[in-house]
Amino acid sequence: MKQPLRHFLLLLCLALAGPVAAADIEIHDAWIREAPPGAPMLAGYLCVLNRGQTPATLTGVTSPRFAHVMMHRTETRDGVARMRHLAEVTLDPGRQECFAPGGMHLMMPAPEQPLRAGDQVELTLHFADGDSRRVVAAVRTP
Amino acid sequence: MMKINVTTRVARRIIPVLAALWLLASCGAPQPPQLEGATLLQPDRRLAEFSLVDHHGEAFTQDALKGHWSLAFFGYTHCPDVCPNALGMLKRVQSLLEARGEPLPRVLFVSVDPERDTPQTLAAYVGYFHPSFVGITGQDAQLQRLTRQLGILYGRAPGGEGDGYLVDHSAAIILFNPEGHYQALFNVPHDPQRIARDFLAIRDWYEASR
Ligand SMILES: [Cu+2]
Repeated sequence: MKQPLRHFLLLLCLALAGPVAAADIEIHDAWIREAPPGAPMLAGYLCVLNRGQTPATLTGVTSPRFAHVMMHRTETRDGVARMRHLAEVTLDPGRQECFAPGGMHLMMPAPEQPLRAGDQVELTLHFADGDSRRVVAAVRTP
Repeated sequence: MMKINVTTRVARRIIPVLAALWLLASCGAPQPPQLEGATLLQPDRRLAEFSLVDHHGEAFTQDALKGHWSLAFFGYTHCPDVCPNALGMLKRVQSLLEARGEPLPRVLFVSVDPERDTPQTLAAYVGYFHPSFVGITGQDAQLQRLTRQLGILYGRAPGGEGDGYLVDHSAAIILFNPEGHYQALFNVPHDPQRIARDFLAIRDWYEASR
C-alpha cells in the first residue's frame, strides 16, 4: 500500500474509533436557579447529549464564579429525600442525560456577589478523555 | 314471565332495606372525602407540647397552629434543589386557592438543620417565596418532639462543601387543622393542582363534620 493512502486510512480509523471528541458532545438548556437572598448553596441544571459512537464520561464541572461545583443526585426513597455526590456521569453513545430539578443537579456555594435572574455564568464540563466544553448558564427562576 | 315477577318482588323488598341502611350510614357523619393523593388521619392527631421559634424570633408552640389551616414542609437552607422545589410548589398551591377566592392555608418551612439555620437566615429564605410564609427553627430536642409525632425523619449525611454536611429529610407535606391537630399527609410526588383540590376536600369535610 502506498504511504499516503496508509496515512489516510490510519487517520480515518482514528477518527471513527477514537475517543469521543468534544464536537460529539452537545450541551443545552444550562441554567442556574435563582436562590433566596442569603441561601448558602445554589443548584444548576443542564442536558448533555453524546452524539459520538463511544461512551463519554463527565468527570467534573468548574466555573470562574464558584469555588467548586459538585455533581449531585437527589434520590427520594421511602419518602426521604437525600442528596448524594456523583464522581462521574457516563453517557452512552446516542444518550442524553439531563440534570433537572428533583434529580441530578450541579451544586455550588453561593458566591459573595449574589447572582440574580438574568445573570450569565460560565461553566466548563470536563470529560474523562481530557476534553472539556464551555457553556453559559443563565440565572433564572424555574 | 314468572321468573321476572319473582325478581321484581325480591327487588321491591331489598331496595328499601338497602336505602335505609345507606341513610343510616350517611346521616351520622359526612362521608370521608375522596382524595387524589393525600392521606387523611381519622381521627386527627392531637400534638404533645413542643417549643420552637419562628423567623421573627417569636415562640412557636402547638398553640401557634390554632386558628388556621397550615401546610408544613421540613427542609433546610443548604438544600438548593428539593427545598426550593417544594416551597415553589406550595406557592403555586396558594395561587390556585387564591384564584378560586379561597382563604389560604399558612405555609410553614420547618428547618431540620437548626445548627445552621437561624431565625434571620430563615426570614430571608422564606420571604423570597412569599411574605406570608413562616420559617421555623429551634433546638434539636424540641424539633424532634414535633417531627417524631408526625413521622418526619431527618438525619445528617456526609457531603456538602468542605467540612460541611448534608441533611436527609422526609419530603412529605403535613396538614394541620385549625385545632392545631395533625390532619393529613401529602407524600411525594407533589402536584399543586392535586394538593389544592385535596386540601379543599379535606377542609369542607372537616367543616361539615363539626
Ligand atoms: Cu445537592
